[in-house]
Amino acid sequence: MNFSFSDDQVLLKNSVRAALEEHCKSAHVRAMADDAKGYSDDLWGEMGKLGWLGLPFPEEHGGAGLGLVELAILLEEMGRAAYPGPFFSTVVLGGLGLTLGGTPAQKDKWLPAIASGRARMTAALLEEHLDWDPASTTASATKSGSGWILSGVKRFVPWAHVADAILVPARSAEGLSLFLLDPKSVGVTLSPMKGIDLSNRWSEMRLDKVAVGAEAIMSQPGGAATVLESLLRRAAVCASADMLGAARRCLDMSVEYVKVREQFGQPIGSFQAIRHRCAEMLLEAENAHAAVYYAAWALTAGAEDAAVASSICKSYVNEAARRVCGDSIQVHGGIGFTWEYDLHLYMKRAKALEPLYGDTEYHRELITRHAISAR
Amino acid sequence: MDLNYTPEDIAFRKQVRAWLEENLPRKEIRTLDDRLGWHRKLYEAGYLGMGWPKEYGGGGARPMEQAIVADELARSKAPAPANSLGIGIVGPTVIVHGTDAQKKRYLKKILTAEELWCQLYSEPNAGSDLAALKTSAVDQGDHFLVNGQKIWTSGGKVAHWGLLLARTDTKVPKHKGISCFLMNMRQPGVDVRPLKQITGSSEFCEVFMTNARVEKSDQMGKLGEGWAIAQTTLGYERGGRALARVTNYASQHSRLVEAAKKMRRHGKPLIEDPLVRQKIGRIWADIEVERYQALRTLTQLERGEHPGAGGSLTKLSYSELEKRYMELALEILGPYGQLTEGAPKEFQLEIDTAVGEQGSWAYAYLWSRAGTIYAGSSEIQKNVIGERILGLPKETRADRVGGKA
Ligand SMILES: Cc1cc2nc3c(=O)[nH]c(=O)nc-3n(C[C@H](O)[C@H](O)[C@H](O)COP(=O)(O)OP(=O)(O)OC[C@H]3O[C@@H](n4cnc5c(N)ncnc54)[C@H](O)[C@@H]3O)c2cc1C
Repeated sequence: MNFSFSDDQVLLKNSVRAALEEHCKSAHVRAMADDAKGYSDDLWGEMGKLGWLGLPFPEEHGGAGLGLVELAILLEEMGRAAYPGPFFSTVVLGGLGLTLGGTPAQKDKWLPAIASGRARMTAALLEEHLDWDPASTTASATKSGSGWILSGVKRFVPWAHVADAILVPARSAEGLSLFLLDPKSVGVTLSPMKGIDLSNRWSEMRLDKVAVGAEAIMSQPGGAATVLESLLRRAAVCASADMLGAARRCLDMSVEYVKVREQFGQPIGSFQAIRHRCAEMLLEAENAHAAVYYAAWALTAGAEDAAVASSICKSYVNEAARRVCGDSIQVHGGIGFTWEYDLHLYMKRAKALEPLYGDTEYHRELITRHAISAR
Repeated sequence: MDLNYTPEDIAFRKQVRAWLEENLPRKEIRTLDDRLGWHRKLYEAGYLGMGWPKEYGGGGARPMEQAIVADELARSKAPAPANSLGIGIVGPTVIVHGTDAQKKRYLKKILTAEELWCQLYSEPNAGSDLAALKTSAVDQGDHFLVNGQKIWTSGGKVAHWGLLLARTDTKVPKHKGISCFLMNMRQPGVDVRPLKQITGSSEFCEVFMTNARVEKSDQMGKLGEGWAIAQTTLGYERGGRALARVTNYASQHSRLVEAAKKMRRHGKPLIEDPLVRQKIGRIWADIEVERYQALRTLTQLERGEHPGAGGSLTKLSYSELEKRYMELALEILGPYGQLTEGAPKEFQLEIDTAVGEQGSWAYAYLWSRAGTIYAGSSEIQKNVIGERILGLPKETRADRVGGKA
């Protein structure tokens, strides 16, 4: 048993941090907030060269064949930098979705395209009622010749406006099915949504009798529920890693600040009210770290408790990140409330991820179901 | 990262489990003698002092093996051994700071519980500010004479020996004039009076020392270095016991779930109430996160690293968790939660009688208030974390200005 990063994992963490410190300073995050697309193709190309875009895919599909621990390391650093762009939607939602439920032909076509930086993807996991349970899906898929007709409304589809393909769950006669949709298809309308998080974009997506071919269906008709559940678990842990990174950044900035900011003739970090808050922030961050990497390992290793570990992870990190980021603003005082100062970039990113891929209550309910059936 | 247990550790766990199935006491532990009997059985099986050097009766075991034994004991709801302070704190301190003669004289008897120990640190006016202690030890040439009062002394009533901090020099700054001794509790100048706790039981005591005697050979470390010894003592964070603690919490949690299935509200089982479900899920998550952290600590210990100030994070985390946990548990159980007697079996904490009075939720709830006070309160832990881990500036405190004692 060994709960520490291997040398390779440490190396990965250091190299990702160095690259993001060079290419993704806060000026970049702020510039992308005003950019029409919201991210930089140059940085995307760079990430492809560094091997990040194919990190968790099998080597035969142009990936590095690494696991969720490595992906979480990468995402923690992206959260720390508030990296703006469709990495999460492409690699986690699209890429892992394909590895879990794609047909051989779909994997052959898309995974190398993602890994090399040619394709961006996303998944449309939420509908009008914002219910994370895949069973709640109401979008419809009706057979038409050899293909299908899709109809329905999807909400909060991340980075849909730049995606080359979108995973879309819909209910067909066979049950819950998953389709790979080209967003340029006739009948697809995207309306952009903007939230507090300057580093992420979403769209509402309307599907009005969109015709797709036979090759669009993933796994098999009616067989999407387990794929979606697995994908959701992975997304929850990956989002938690991202939030952990944002929280760590807030904590680090706070600790540095309270050492130098003086009031009443002393550094404010010498006051217990501030020091104790920082100690609590560290405790939350350390516990969040344990929750993220345990779950990432459990999912990769196929451990018995992997499913519940992912729910524990998201429900715990949701609250931990909220507190750490929120407290960072408190210990900074007025400067923490300014647009100029960077804290809000990370705080908003974590806040926006909090309800996504399962909010706290949703995951606690799953944990309770597990606890009830455990003994 | 690999969180699978090694085949050796899995095999070892099986072996411990099999031993426990054979040897677990079938009858309730009622007297100290019952407990001593169980203690000796554990010792003879090699399950006490497992990490201590072999030459002093220990087992030289790895941290993981120690953790597995503690975990299996918790899983089987085994009664606690006697001499927990002797084994948890005094022994390790003697191993690090004691002379060869002291190691030979004391360690084996701690392990066999032939001699029970207590810790004589706190005083009425020296708790968190431990260095403010006033109990004096005066050099009489061939021995020391001890005068003063200690308080909150766990196990003081049954102890044969006490690990004592006393002032040997009043002319130097307060941290520098403290020395550490091994004191015989069974002598005329030592008067032990039990204090009744909020649980209704009496585990801790007041200890009055009037011209009590400590032999020169029972001084530990150099004169005036008691503070440093106390620091290492307090640093024995029970990393290896963390897993066992979690196992304990988890088995309590399943009793809580069972109780919530039996209770009814608004004509439905309580377990169907979404608010109750949220609380149950939250506690489970907190407990599991604690388990993950225990595995992290074990990784450090297995590599031979000392968690250092990290032990403060562990202690802060579990003691605060326990408080939150018991508060939610009692909310769920309603009036049943606060009963110490007469609750229907399904609303009791344990049906296993081996744990005696600890079998009630009310008792567990009250106990949960102790963890954030003893062995350095949560506030003190946060000071340590702030200063030693985060490197935040020290506060200006009277006792640090110009060597004021
Ligand atoms: C169940 C139990 C068993 C115990 N067993 C033993 C034993 O076997 N041997 C032994 O020697 N002692 C024992 N103790 C004593 C324990 O170590 C002390 O109670 C503890 O150190 C706190 O000291 P105090 O009670 O004097 O409280 P105080 O130090 O007076 O503290 C009161 C409050 O003030 C806070 N406070 C104090 N100083 C600071 C500061 N600098 N910054 C912020 N807040 C501060 C504390 O956190 C606490 O909330 C035991 C205590 C309990 C509850």
